[in-house]
Amino acid sequence: MEALKSAFDFSDFPRSDLFVAGALVVLLLVFPLFPHSAFAMATVIQFFIFSLYGMGWNTIGGYGGQVDLGKAQYVGIGAYTTAVMLIRWDIPFWVSMPVGVCLAVAWSFVIGFPLFRLKGHYFAIATIATSLVLKDLFEVWDFVGAARGLEISPIKYTPPDFLRLIFREDIYYYYVIFAFFLIGIFYINWFRKSRLGFQLRAIKDNESVAQSLGINVHLAKVKTYAIATAFVSVVGSFHACYIKNIEPEDTMSLNISILIALMAMLGGAGSLWGPIIGAGILIPLKSYLKEWLGATAGLVGIDLILYALIIMIISATEPRGIWGIVERLRRRKPN
Amino acid sequence: MKRTLKWTTAAIVVVLAFGLLVPTVVWAKEIKIGVIYPLTGGAAAAGRELRAGAELAADIANNAMADLEMAMAKNAGIKSMGGAKITLIFKDHEGNPTLGADLAKKLILDDKVDGLLGCYHSSVTKTVSAVAEQYGVPMINGSSTSPGLTERGFKWFWRTTPHDRWFTKDLFELLKGLSEGKARGVAKVSKQDIMKLASACEKTEWGSFTSTLVEEFSKEYGFDLRKSLLYAKEAPDLSSEVRSLKASRADVMLFASYTSDAILMIKTLDAQKVQPKVLWGQDAGFETPEFQQTLGDSIVGILTRTVFLPKVVEVKPLAGKVNKMYKERTGNDLSGASARSFTGLQTWVHVLEKAGSTDPKAVQAAANAIEISGSELVVPWAGIKFSTSGKEIGQNELGSGLIGQYQKDASGNIGLEIVYPFDVTTADMIYPFPKW
Repeated sequence: MEALKSAFDFSDFPRSDLFVAGALVVLLLVFPLFPHSAFAMATVIQFFIFSLYGMGWNTIGGYGGQVDLGKAQYVGIGAYTTAVMLIRWDIPFWVSMPVGVCLAVAWSFVIGFPLFRLKGHYFAIATIATSLVLKDLFEVWDFVGAARGLEISPIKYTPPDFLRLIFREDIYYYYVIFAFFLIGIFYINWFRKSRLGFQLRAIKDNESVAQSLGINVHLAKVKTYAIATAFVSVVGSFHACYIKNIEPEDTMSLNISILIALMAMLGGAGSLWGPIIGAGILIPLKSYLKEWLGATAGLVGIDLILYALIIMIISATEPRGIWGIVERLRRRKPN
Repeated sequence: MKRTLKWTTAAIVVVLAFGLLVPTVVWAKEIKIGVIYPLTGGAAAAGRELRAGAELAADIANNAMADLEMAMAKNAGIKSMGGAKITLIFKDHEGNPTLGADLAKKLILDDKVDGLLGCYHSSVTKTVSAVAEQYGVPMINGSSTSPGLTERGFKWFWRTTPHDRWFTKDLFELLKGLSEGKARGVAKVSKQDIMKLASACEKTEWGSFTSTLVEEFSKEYGFDLRKSLLYAKEAPDLSSEVRSLKASRADVMLFASYTSDAILMIKTLDAQKVQPKVLWGQDAGFETPEFQQTLGDSIVGILTRTVFLPKVVEVKPLAGKVNKMYKERTGNDLSGASARSFTGLQTWVHVLEKAGSTDPKAVQAAANAIEISGSELVVPWAGIKFSTSGKEIGQNELGSGLIGQYQKDASGNIGLEIVYPFDVTTADMIYPFPKW
C-alpha cells in the first residue's frame, strides 16, 4: 500500500513539471480520437515503445550508472516467447508476456551475476557480447525459426483479438502500449524513491563508500538489472504482436541496444522524465525528417545527416542530456 | 442595369451548362502506387536502380511511345480508366522490416494508395505484404526472391520474379553441366574437382533461405557441402568468415550478399588469396554497378545469377530500346534489379488495364487472371501468369533465370556474359576461376 502511494506521489517535482506532464498525458489520451494520420499514430506508438525501453534502461544505466548496451537480447526473449507460444500452442499474449518476463529475468540473473563483477567499459562491452551471442544462437535455432524468424500470420486470426493482441487498426495497439507506458511511469516513480533506488544512486556516486555503508553492491545491481530486463521484455512481447514478424537480425540487433541507451542518455539518464524526453524528441525527429526530406523530397540521406547533427549538438551542449539543459536553465532563473 | 442583368444571366447559363456537363465528363483519375525500396543503408545503390527502373516504366505507361513494341507504351495512361496516369509515391525502408510495415500503413491509410510495389529485401517484403494482406490492398513484388513469400496463402500478394529455389537449382544444373561437358568452351570437368562446396549468406530472410536451399540441393545433386555460414550484411569485417571458408578448401563458393557486403566479401577473399574454382553470387550485390566499379578487374570470372544482362539486348530488341532509355537517364545499363522493378510496375499497368478500375476486388481478379506475353517484357521470361492454387499462391509461373559471368572484352571493358542456360550462352565460360 505504501509502495502504491509512493508510485502516485510526484510531490517532489515542481508544479510546472506536473502541469506539463499532465497536459501531455491528456493529449496522448485523446490523440487517437481526433483526426490523425496513420504515420503520426505509428510514430507515437514507437515513442511509447522506446520510452518504455528507455525507462527500463534508466534503472540500471541512469540511476545505477552501469552502461548496459545489450538490452536487445531481452527484447528478443520477450518477443520470441510470445511469438513461439502463440504460433505453436495458440497461447494468448496475456499468458505468454509474463512467461517471457520470467524467462528474461532468469536469463538476466544467469548473465548478471558474472557480468557485474566487471566495471565501466568492460561491463558495457560484456553486455554487447552477451546480446550478440544470444542473437547468434537464435539465428541457428530451428525451434524459433532460426535466421528467418517467425511470422504471426495475418490471415490466421480474426481481428480484433484482445486475448492474442491481434488487431488490424493501430488504435488498439496504441491504448495497450499507452497503458503500459503509464504503468511504467508510476513504477519508476516508486523505484527512484525506493530503498533500491537510493542504494543505486549511492553506488553510482561511489561504489566503495556504498559498500562501506553496508549496501550489497553486487546484489543491488543484479536486482536492478532484472527490473530493467522485465521492462524491455514486456515491450518485446508487445512488439511481436504489433509487427507480427520477428527475426533476430531485426529484433535483437545491436542497433536496438544502442538506440535504447542513446535515447535515455540524450533525454537525461538518471531522471524520471529523461528517457521519455529522449524518445519524444528522437523518434518523431527521425520519422518526420525522413518523411519530409527523405524519399519523398528526393533528398535521400539528408535526414540522417541532420539527425546525427542534432544528436551531436545536444551531446556537446550538455552531457547530461536534454533534462540536464532544462535543469541548468532553471538554476539560472532567479527565484 | 440592363447590361449587368444580361451578363449575369449569361454567367448563370454558363455555370448551369457546366454543372450539367460535369457528370458526363470522365476525369482522368490519378492512380497512386506506393513504392517501398531501400534508398539508404547498405543496399542504397540497388535502391537507386530499383527506383529508376520503376520511374522509367511509369513514364512509358503515362506517355504514348509509338516506337516501343509494348502494350503499355501504346496509350498515355491507363486506357480502360480514361487515360488515368500512374503516380509513384516512394518510401525508404532502409532494409528495416519494422520501418517497412510502418511505411506500408502510411501509404495505405494516409496516402490512400491503390496498390504497393516493393520491397527488394525479402525480410521487408514479408512485413509489408502482411500489412497489405490485412488491409486488402494489392501488392506486386518484382524483386524479392525468398521462396517462402508466396507460400503463405496470401490473397493480395503477387510476385513476378522467379525465386531462389529456381535460381539455386540453376546453379546446381550449371555444376552438373560442367561435369557433363555441357558448359561452352570448357572441357568436361571431373565431378571430384568441383565436389567440395562452401556457402556464405547474409542472415536475413533472403540469405538464410538461400543457405537452406544450398544445403538441400547439395544433397540432391550429390555434392559435399563443407561449410555453410551466415553473416550480418552490415558487418564491417568479414575476415573470420573468409578464413573459415578458406579452411574448408572448397572448390565452389556460393554467396548471397547485398551490395556493401558483396564488395567486402570479394575484397577479403582477394586479400586472403582464397582460390576456389567456381565463385558464384546469388544476384543482388553481385550485379550492382557499384560492385563492378569498385572491384574492377578482380571480378573477372565471378558468376552471378540474374534475370537480366545487357547481353539480353542481343536476343531481345525491345530490351535494347528500354535499356537505351534507361542508360540515357542513369548512365548505367539495366541490371537484374532495375529490369525487375521495371517489370513489376509494367505488371501493375497490365493489371490495372485489365481491371479497368482501382477497386481492390477488381484488381485482385485481374491479377489472378492476367497473362502477359514474354514478347512484352525486357526480361527473358516466357511471360507473366500467376499461380492461383497449390503450394505457391501469386507466384509468376513463367519466369526463368540466367547465370552470367564477368568477362573482359577485347577493348578491356568488363561485363556480364550469359553462360547458363547452355542454349543461350553469349561467350565461353571461364573455368577455373582465375588467380587473384
